[in-house]
Amino acid sequence: MSEQFEPKIVAFVCNWCTYAGADLAGTSRTKYATNVSIIRFPCTGRIDFMLLMKAFENGADGIIVSGCHPNDCHYTSGNFHARRRWMVFRSLLDFMGFDTERITFSWVSASEGSKWASLVDETTEKIREMGPFTDFNKLDYSTFEKISNDTITE
Amino acid sequence: MEIKNIKQTQIPAFFDQLIQSGKVVIAPVLKKSGKVFFEPVQSYNQVATDYIQTGFSAKSVVFPKVEVLFSFKKTEDGIEIQDSIANIPETIVWGLRPCDGSAFNYMTEFFLKENPDTYYAARKAKTTLIAISCAKADDACFCTSVGLNPGSTAGSDVLLTLMGEDVYVEVLTEKGKAAIGISASLFTNGNEKSKDDYLAKINTKFSLSEIEERIKTAYDRAEWKNESMGCFGCGACAFACPTCTCFDIQDEGTQNKGQRLRCWDACGFGQFTKHASGHNPKTNQTERRRQRLMHKFKYSVENLGIVSCVGCGRCIRVCPAHLNIFENILNVTK
Amino acid sequence: MIGFKNAINKLAIPCFINDASQVEQLIYTPECKGNLSVYLHKTEVKQAKKVGILANISTLRSLIQLTSENQLNDIEKTVITINAQDEVVVFENMEKLEEYVQANFPEYTEEDKKLLEQLNNMTREQRWQYWTEQFSACIKCYACRAVCPMCYCSSCTVECNQPQWIKVSSETTGNLEWLTMRAMHLAGRCINCGECGRICPVGIPVHLLTAQMNLDIEKEFGAKTGFSCKSGYALNTFKPEDKEQFIQ
Repeated sequence: MSEQFEPKIVAFVCNWCTYAGADLAGTSRTKYATNVSIIRFPCTGRIDFMLLMKAFENGADGIIVSGCHPNDCHYTSGNFHARRRWMVFRSLLDFMGFDTERITFSWVSASEGSKWASLVDETTEKIREMGPFTDFNKLDYSTFEKISNDTITE
Repeated sequence: MEIKNIKQTQIPAFFDQLIQSGKVVIAPVLKKSGKVFFEPVQSYNQVATDYIQTGFSAKSVVFPKVEVLFSFKKTEDGIEIQDSIANIPETIVWGLRPCDGSAFNYMTEFFLKENPDTYYAARKAKTTLIAISCAKADDACFCTSVGLNPGSTAGSDVLLTLMGEDVYVEVLTEKGKAAIGISASLFTNGNEKSKDDYLAKINTKFSLSEIEERIKTAYDRAEWKNESMGCFGCGACAFACPTCTCFDIQDEGTQNKGQRLRCWDACGFGQFTKHASGHNPKTNQTERRRQRLMHKFKYSVENLGIVSCVGCGRCIRVCPAHLNIFENILNVTK
Repeated sequence: MIGFKNAINKLAIPCFINDASQVEQLIYTPECKGNLSVYLHKTEVKQAKKVGILANISTLRSLIQLTSENQLNDIEKTVITINAQDEVVVFENMEKLEEYVQANFPEYTEEDKKLLEQLNNMTREQRWQYWTEQFSACIKCYACRAVCPMCYCSSCTVECNQPQWIKVSSETTGNLEWLTMRAMHLAGRCINCGECGRICPVGIPVHLLTAQMNLDIEKEFGAKTGFSCKSGYALNTFKPEDKEQFIQ
């Protein structure tokens, strides 16, 4: 029997809402998938898009980004800035051909422990079906790199 | 040196036999953008023939833009280190210009003179250079001003000059002989003759000896500022140049595995001369551009005895502001 | 005075004159495509205190965008352009410059529109294939950054080595990170002069990334770059009513 693929999910969450929500899921002894590694930020407004790219480069198969609901941000407007940033970043990723389905965005508040658990479960299943993330497998450093810039066929 | 002849119509057959010999063949290829670059090819019909100069030089064959010096991996027994120069393939570079051939002479002097660079040496030993003389030139070419000409044999292993239906073949080294030997039946023996009628005519822009003399006292001249104003400080000229050899060493990896890389670097970058203390001796672009030009025409002469500019004109063509190296040199030594 | 002059190979290149006698060199032709506002960030130009600049429409847009980002406060500038009727127009102040630009707001070029359409009609996998092949050619010369008037950070992210955000070596993953980062830092600020794509030594159409970003930003947030000196930057403002479909 082959082993089931266990995706590695990295979660970028804000301290005041989603992290507390995840904590609530824990204290409530909710069972949910263990594939997620949580990285705690003071606010979603602090999450740099480069960090997401670095996560994929270093072996993540999927990413969750989560913070306070609009109008509930602990720092008033951090999540509004984050929202704009994600809209633009997602559009860029899609234009470059990156599969934006690998990144899940959500608002999870401090009282939504069960929402957090089902979010992780759903994301894990989704990424499991999508398979490991291999788009970033690096080119070998060959003796001579090919310079190519004419893939578009007329 | 041996002289041979081959019919122009036989060139594709010669080329394809080089490929079939199992060596990697690097030749100029025309891209959709209209630019020509050196790339590995599989057959003669991929090779570009009607162009003046390639965008980049062929220096990546012996000095790649990224080179793994060694890699390491942590295992149960300790740390495993893998050296990288074991698997360099035999390579033929086709379609170099005479200026590029001469550039290889400079690079060999630079990398092998003192403390020989094993990586360069290993790659150069496996590389054969087949150059083609220039029948055309544009305003950016100035090889005749730096002691070269469109039919110069310096640095190459074989030089081909197209003369109507025939190709005049100068076999210059043992490696060149081996390359020709792959298709010996296509070649006939020839006699020495003049190539002048088949070479591009390039007017000299300056007298090299005069420039070399005057540049010795040009360091403090006020003209440097105006000549450098257009420079943005990118690395395009250094990366396109066939004799620019500056590099950076970078370590990439994690605690468990990684590699040490040598990558191209450019003196035009603002951080190029920054010290670990934070001090940067070259604070503005004027000083950096002056450094580049002085290096080409003075410092490399003092250190290695060769002017490191070969007059290929790539820096002029590739520069976003099209800064002109020979105009700059003339203006600061007026 | 920053303008254009004739050079070898029929090129129009930037020229810098500081004496009235040198004015004869200046030209203005369709070849004068460069965006000269990038030189306003150079220390040597800032030291000059009084600067004149011969601007094409892209340069005028950059001047507006730079003014809205407060980058031109310490330079006394005189801006000149040549209009469609071949007349010399000298702008007395930024308001007049704004009016001129808003009246003559440029469209994307036909070539760019065609490429953008082709890319948007491809499948996601085809786009990924296209862009990764383009990125593998990048040599990290940073000419695209150097020629961009909006890239004026005295300490660029790529120069940070604690941690090394963007790899120094030029291999595809690192190149992708560099070009993505650049597109994001310019989203909502790029004025679509197209210089970055035009001067790339290996011919990567870098300008298309930010061109697409600007189209999306205009659609979502109604913000146009290089349009008004008071426009601000789409990514450091927000509206509570911003709507998206993808946040659960």
